[in-house]
Amino acid sequence: MRQSTAQRTLVFSILLVATSAAAWSQSNGQPSTKSGEWPYYTADLKGSKYSPLDQINASNFNKLEVAWRFKTENLGTKPEYKLEGTPLMVKGTIYVTAGTRRDVISLDAKTGELNWVYSMREGKRAAIAPRQLSGRGVSYWTDGKGDDRVVFVTTGYRLVELNAHTGRPVESFGKEGMVDLKTGMVSGTGQQIDLEEGEAGLHSTPLVVKDVVIVGSSFKEGMTVKTHNNTKGLVRAFDAKNGKLLWTFNTIPRPGEFGNETWESNSWATNGNTGVWTQMTVDEDLGLVYLPVETPTSDFYGGERPGNNLFAESLVCVDLKTGKRKWHYQVVHHPIWDYDLSSAPILADINVGGRAIKAVALPSKESFLYVFNRITGEPVWPIEERPVPQSDVPGEKTSATQPFPTKPPAYGRQFLKIPDDLIDFTPEMRAEARDNVARYKTGPMFLPPIVGDSNGLLAALTLGTAGGGTNWPGAGYDPETHIVYAEANQSGLFPISLRNPPQGFSDIRYVMGRNGTDFVVSEGPGFGSAADAPKPAPRPRAAQRAPAQNVGGLTVQGLSIVKPPYAVISAVNLDQGDLQWQVPYGETPDAVHNHPALKGKDIPNTGQPGSVGLLVTKSLVVLGDSQITSVTHPRGAMLRAYDKASGKEVGAVLMPAPQSGSPMTYSVDGKQYIIVAVSGGAYSGEYIAYSLPSED
Amino acid sequence: MYFGAGVLALFVLAAAAQASRSVWDGVYTAEQAKQGGDLYADQCASCHGLALNGGEMAPPLTGGEFMSNWNGLTVGDLFDRIRTTMPANAAGTLNREKTAEILADILSVNGFPAGSMELPRQTEALKQISIDAVKPEKK
Repeated sequence: MRQSTAQRTLVFSILLVATSAAAWSQSNGQPSTKSGEWPYYTADLKGSKYSPLDQINASNFNKLEVAWRFKTENLGTKPEYKLEGTPLMVKGTIYVTAGTRRDVISLDAKTGELNWVYSMREGKRAAIAPRQLSGRGVSYWTDGKGDDRVVFVTTGYRLVELNAHTGRPVESFGKEGMVDLKTGMVSGTGQQIDLEEGEAGLHSTPLVVKDVVIVGSSFKEGMTVKTHNNTKGLVRAFDAKNGKLLWTFNTIPRPGEFGNETWESNSWATNGNTGVWTQMTVDEDLGLVYLPVETPTSDFYGGERPGNNLFAESLVCVDLKTGKRKWHYQVVHHPIWDYDLSSAPILADINVGGRAIKAVALPSKESFLYVFNRITGEPVWPIEERPVPQSDVPGEKTSATQPFPTKPPAYGRQFLKIPDDLIDFTPEMRAEARDNVARYKTGPMFLPPIVGDSNGLLAALTLGTAGGGTNWPGAGYDPETHIVYAEANQSGLFPISLRNPPQGFSDIRYVMGRNGTDFVVSEGPGFGSAADAPKPAPRPRAAQRAPAQNVGGLTVQGLSIVKPPYAVISAVNLDQGDLQWQVPYGETPDAVHNHPALKGKDIPNTGQPGSVGLLVTKSLVVLGDSQITSVTHPRGAMLRAYDKASGKEVGAVLMPAPQSGSPMTYSVDGKQYIIVAVSGGAYSGEYIAYSLPSED
Repeated sequence: MYFGAGVLALFVLAAAAQASRSVWDGVYTAEQAKQGGDLYADQCASCHGLALNGGEMAPPLTGGEFMSNWNGLTVGDLFDRIRTTMPANAAGTLNREKTAEILADILSVNGFPAGSMELPRQTEALKQISIDAVKPEKK
């Protein structure tokens, strides 16, 4: 039998007894955190991750217990160990993605019981997709009158709408419930990419606002790319009811479009990427959408794309109705550090010096919180263009200056300060660290990549770049107190070294790697992990592993070369533009606690490395550890509550594995729950719902 | 079946001895780790890095974070994690012997000593070997 589409879809559903919608309905029929729901990945359209619920608070957080758990390992052909979803809760039902096939599941919010599963078998298209595994979750659309839909993007880059009650595709949306997002994706000057093998994907959730679904795009990891002329990023809006394309915003402007000249030597025509892979936000009332745009191809070498390269690493504000640019701000010119724009822009109505400002605050890998007037794009506090170090890589032309916000201060480490930022538990450790970093080029923020050599300088040793500060989980915001809460990785050392690619590998002059070592291709996150990923061709055996001795190593006696705190949580007051508090994130790792050289030493909490998402409630900031520890509690990772006013830890509950997705909260029948995705190491992906014991 | 008291005692002793083994007790051979090193370079390095230090999309297989993930579990847990899910794009293609060799390489790189006995291939036997991040004090 010939199937009408290349993929097969499976839905296992159970007819649901309709729950009373009356208890949930707002006046406009739209779900809201005000009614105890969590209807968007970031709680609301403003990116706040804020819920006003307060049943779970400092007085009882320690009493939390597992209400239910949903193990995801039988979704897809093998278990997933990188579960990153944040569920939605609407009208008593949980919706989220899960498993190596990125299935969508609907669960009873009180019990975790499975209502339905939707699974699309996309075959090769998913198996070679640039963004694999279960993704970040789903979105929700409702007409407020019972037509309720779950909206998500498949691994193979299809936009799908499902009936929220049954899990079946909404036939009237696109073609049989889906829109092929690869249609309209182009490379070069406008060449349509192949629908099966063309490079495009996405694992963030679509932005659903009114009757519009806005979708970004992402591509393979840009470290060892085969061509600079890969698929071009864009952002598109579709009619939520029927899937009709409403508008397209070209993140690489075409001739005649604003910013095209920032791709000098016509390089717009021969470069790609520059997608929007993280969450977008929207001001429904102003009709303005905020697009955080990522890096162009390639991540660390821009010799094939001279110029500032708009709208790469820019916050772009477009009109919700037309997609036309209203304003933009490029936070990194001619990007070559993989800063991307990693986080959902946060819409904040603040008050600065007696002046009410509708602002947008952008958390970043740089640990700057860039704050703008969201109507005009003017910085709320001056952002200065300052001279930065220049590249000596042949063909590369770095920007002479880069933007530095004058306020608020950086909320995390932005470069490796020598020797101040080096490990100093003991003088011997500091000395070893100094010896090791001597093998690198070091310097201030925006230190450009170098051509590394095993017999010379190994790399430019950056910190706070690709793996720094706040990554995809983003930050949170309290709309009542005007405070942003952000977690920032302070130990994300990233040595950047370039080399010529092996003969015939790429048309780009430099890729990531080091002369004198084997060339290793870097694939995208989870690449090759999708359910039906093909077996790779055998590779020749690598001749040499890096020398066993710790030459230029970024650890000292097994510990990070960087001084603690390894990561911090900060409260940034947007009215004042200052840091209200900053505390280490998590607790001291076992490797430090148990280190033989540190026995008997009194070491203050070092925090844990990592970039994780958080939840903001009426009184708490909630986020879980990135590591398993076992010194101060039974083996596990802790989900912790911090007091919003002081940053003091006020409670913790054990998780069986590290937090791998941002937590959310909701309330059903008077009971508050917190769900967090955990996974990693020996533990396959699981959503765990915590609530208070019944007597509380 | 009837076991004489002596045989039974041997069983008990063997069980006790097994239960007390840890990665510090020389649970793999240098030859196994050498074979595993080649296999690792071929099968694992493109994601986890030649030096096991991880990559953008795969965690490190050495260092504090790795050890904290596995400390308190057994070599059998790690073996099964590799056997059932790795390599990510070809899970199940490494047989038990190869999996044991790669595991021996990982143990070696993490500083656990080699010994005279090969790392077993059976999960049950491997589950008797605990992963202890910290070297136990001499008894």
